[in-house]
Amino acid sequence: MAGITLNKAIKRYGAVDVIHGIDLEIEDGEFCVLVGPSGCGKSTLLRMVAGLEETSGGEIHIGERNVTRLDPAARGVSMVFQTYALYPHMTVAENMSFGLRMNGHPKAEIAAKVKAAADILKLNDYLERKPKALSGGQRQRVAIGRAIVRGPEVFLFDEPLSNLDAELRVEMRVEIARLHKEIGATMVYVTHDQVEAMTLADKIVVLRSGRIEQVGTPLDLYHDPDNRFVAGFIGSPAMNFVKARVRDGRVHAPGLSDEAFAVDIALPPNGTDLLVGVRPHHIAIDPQGASHTLIVKEALGAMFHAYLEAPTGERIVVEVPEAEAVGLQGDVGLRMVPDRLLLFDARTELRLR
Amino acid sequence: MSYVTRVWQDHKAAITPWLFLLPGILMFAIYIVIPIFQSIAISFYRWDGLGEKTFIGWENYRELMRDDIFFTALQNNVIWLVLYLLALPAGLLLALFLNQTTRGIRIYKSLFFFPFVISQVVVGLVFSWFYDPSFGLFNTALMKIGLSPIAVLADERYVTYGVIIAGLWPQIAYCMILYLTGLNAVDGEQIEAARLDNVRGWRMLWYVILPQLRPATFIALVVTVIGALRSFDLISIMTGGGPWGSSQVLAYYMYEQAFSEYGFRMGYGAAIAVVLFAIMLIYIGFFLAKMYRDEKGR
Ligand SMILES: Nc1ncnc2c1ncn2[C@@H]1O[C@H](COP(=O)(O)OP(=O)(O)O)[C@@H](O)[C@H]1O
Ligand SMILES: [Mg+2]
Repeated sequence: MAGITLNKAIKRYGAVDVIHGIDLEIEDGEFCVLVGPSGCGKSTLLRMVAGLEETSGGEIHIGERNVTRLDPAARGVSMVFQTYALYPHMTVAENMSFGLRMNGHPKAEIAAKVKAAADILKLNDYLERKPKALSGGQRQRVAIGRAIVRGPEVFLFDEPLSNLDAELRVEMRVEIARLHKEIGATMVYVTHDQVEAMTLADKIVVLRSGRIEQVGTPLDLYHDPDNRFVAGFIGSPAMNFVKARVRDGRVHAPGLSDEAFAVDIALPPNGTDLLVGVRPHHIAIDPQGASHTLIVKEALGAMFHAYLEAPTGERIVVEVPEAEAVGLQGDVGLRMVPDRLLLFDARTELRLR
Repeated sequence: MSYVTRVWQDHKAAITPWLFLLPGILMFAIYIVIPIFQSIAISFYRWDGLGEKTFIGWENYRELMRDDIFFTALQNNVIWLVLYLLALPAGLLLALFLNQTTRGIRIYKSLFFFPFVISQVVVGLVFSWFYDPSFGLFNTALMKIGLSPIAVLADERYVTYGVIIAGLWPQIAYCMILYLTGLNAVDGEQIEAARLDNVRGWRMLWYVILPQLRPATFIALVVTVIGALRSFDLISIMTGGGPWGSSQVLAYYMYEQAFSEYGFRMGYGAAIAVVLFAIMLIYIGFFLAKMYRDEKGR
């Protein structure tokens, strides 16, 4: 039974704050994904939980215990590293059993645990091999196996799939999801890939520059982002943003259409600058219109991505079904449903609801 | 097209590497390989270096078997070898100690590396003064703590150890540099993984760090063994093999027999050199076998 609680956790390098007082609650057994652009402090936060980085301020609890000043080994966590960090001179079995052997567990127990982990990860045929003789995916499995064998309360993953090729990445993603179902331990998973975040997470934590932008389930974040950053970060292809302004109680977004449209939320005063966000599959192309110019079509199979340029110079991506996309060219119009548009304050970038 | 040009055109890729290797091979053959065989040949003769050579078969080797100083030298070489190996753990400890990022660490590293840069002759002189019974630091220190002075280099019991300690000073520095370079390549995440497994201190060193330092250890071992076996400069500067041959080693004894004022016994000197070569051959064989295994294992 071990959730994780961060209480105003701060990490400081010299005079520079890298993590600015993070409050976060991760439930027992939850799969929590920390996501954000490179350099936003995901790894640092994870390593603070692991105890590999000293916490400069605030508190970290795992289960009932305050672990803020505890040694990494005493925290009951296992970590899977991006580079796998396998010991090259040990076989797979030795790698997986290393921690147990070093801490004086009986031989029979170690053998049983290694066998159990190898079964879960389908590593039985490779136990006597050295890491050098394994593929990237197999190495990652061994690294995960090493984490499982210790039977931790919390698993920590730092971009475990980013050294794998695209196909393997999908395979291992499914594997990790299955693992979480099977073991049911609390898992904290760091990635910069929002697809991984969406597919794996019970709860996503979006980080930017050492601050939490939003916490929620994948679909919460997707449908109901708090701010422009989250809206733009979650979802692929990314959300379109165009400039807009409040005019006579309506929203005028010249990048989308000449006509101002009404929305059913309370708008700020006339003349306020806004941003309108719209997902590529929430707008459609009107072949009869001529307000936008089609620049490129990308064929993805059943769907096409059409890149349009608005008269304002803004770029808009539209998802178009294959049947409609084939004949498209030249100048086209846009069709949209005002309900599907998200409004943000242009200055604070906060969502208007 | 002439015949030569045609051969060149057809086999360019095969010939070019040999052309590049040629100067090196020539040098190596003239200064190393051929002299080895010449030495082996000379060891079967009696020869003063100028006059007639007389073939005497195994006589030089038979004489070696009766030569007390030869056995002293052999024994001292073994002592050198064993004690020189201390340079590895000592160099490793220094490297571990210096492998940190504090202000001015480069200065400390340079200072520790310094003994390797200076000539063995200088090292020998420095240690001769250090051991000097009348003004040396060593005896001054002994007297300070109330012990009677020891004339290290004049005492048969201590002289070899005294010289070896002088030799260890630069050798440790060398091993330290090798290990410092090796430590740079140690994977930090492996160390962190081990920390999560509650592995630390000596066990971390033994199970996680040392295995990653194996290439450095191997090179350090090879240069240290070779360095111990060919010890010459320090003996020459500090003791000249004395007192009464008690600090002799094979390399210096060979030189003394073959070239020094006691007579130019080229054949006998060559026989000593051949014995030394045979001992080194064991290590070179080990070295080559390991290199070959590593190349193949890749
Ligand atoms: N040892 C350090 N000293 C100073 N700054 C650091 C150090 N380690 C990381 N940082 C900074 O902390 C920020 C977060 O780093 P990190 O957690 O690795 O980001 P990521 O989200 O890509 O994993 C980065 O801006 C990085 O420059
Ligand atoms: Mg990172």
